[in-house]
Amino acid sequence: GGAMSFLKRFPPPAEGVRHQQPDTEAVLAGRSLGAGTLYIAESRLSWLENSGVGFSLDYPTISLHAVSRDLSAYPWEHLYVMVNAKFEEEETKEAPVAEGEEDEDSDDDTEPIAEFRFVPSDKSALEAMFSAMCECQALHPDPDDEDSDNDYEGEEYDVEARELAQGDIPSFYTYEEGLLHLTAEGQATLERLEGMLAQSVSSQYNMAGVRTEDSIREFEDGMEVDIAPVVAGQFEDAEVDH
Amino acid sequence: MEVSHSVKERTIAENSLVILLQGLHGHVTTVDLRDESAATGRLTNVDAFMNMRLADVAFTDRQGTVTQLDELFVTGRNVRYVHIPDEVDIRATIERQLQAIHRVRYFGGRDKGRKEFPRAKHK
Repeated sequence: GGAMSFLKRFPPPAEGVRHQQPDTEAVLAGRSLGAGTLYIAESRLSWLENSGVGFSLDYPTISLHAVSRDLSAYPWEHLYVMVNAKFEEEETKEAPVAEGEEDEDSDDDTEPIAEFRFVPSDKSALEAMFSAMCECQALHPDPDDEDSDNDYEGEEYDVEARELAQGDIPSFYTYEEGLLHLTAEGQATLERLEGMLAQSVSSQYNMAGVRTEDSIREFEDGMEVDIAPVVAGQFEDAEVDH
Repeated sequence: MEVSHSVKERTIAENSLVILLQGLHGHVTTVDLRDESAATGRLTNVDAFMNMRLADVAFTDRQGTVTQLDELFVTGRNVRYVHIPDEVDIRATIERQLQAIHRVRYFGGRDKGRKEFPRAKHK
């Protein structure tokens, strides 16, 4: 076997570790790298052998991952991870190359693939490992996405941002969730606030005593007005020049 | 058909065909991947970046070998093609998803309470 030179010594990740699975074997292209601990962290996926050497994989390089329980395909249940990269370990495979294989390899020039399997001694952990990886992958959207129209500027995309800025809801729930979280008091508050916002702004301006022709026009034209919750008598103390 | 809790993701979905894929939750779908492999399974989640999660998957690798996978997550970047199942009415699915998003967005009621757009804009 060749030296697995991509293995390095490094400290286990300390932050953002969504899942940690000890006693997990790592296998690359069918060859075991030993037993160690798998760290599924938000920044990267790391595996450290019990001796302290290991490797990390960056999520953008991972094309897919899966839970495999098909023992006819591989004798142990495991987490399968496909990576868009070559690892030096693969060189040992290329030594005696049959012609058919060689053709295939040349097709692989643009699409290097490395297949890792992480085999935990505790099979019941596979679900949690899989889910933790899904969550971490979602934190790393593809920066090179040419196909999608990333130009999300424009008024229509600000709808929800404006809605959130106007509203008094501190955190955003979906409709059903939001109502479930409201106490009776919260419900009453919600109704009161919605009622206040529904009042015409001109009457609110009256209460504040700063009504001018300009301010009415400004309100009718656009969304620039900052609708502060108005309490009767709020500006009584203010010195206003009429 | 749950709607994302993220404002940004809802906006992205609403303005792209990802919204159609999100309407396919629960359907058995075949996804062709960038590297010529393919996965057929029940779609359990699609996010705004087209990352897809499937259950009970028959995975066909580049060499044509088929293996069973309990669950599969593929990044949007690696999805080349999604086969829409024949039984799916594409237009109805998109409309249903848009309605779900709008229900979340306008949960105060469209015409009572806060106004998201001043009606004056249309004059």
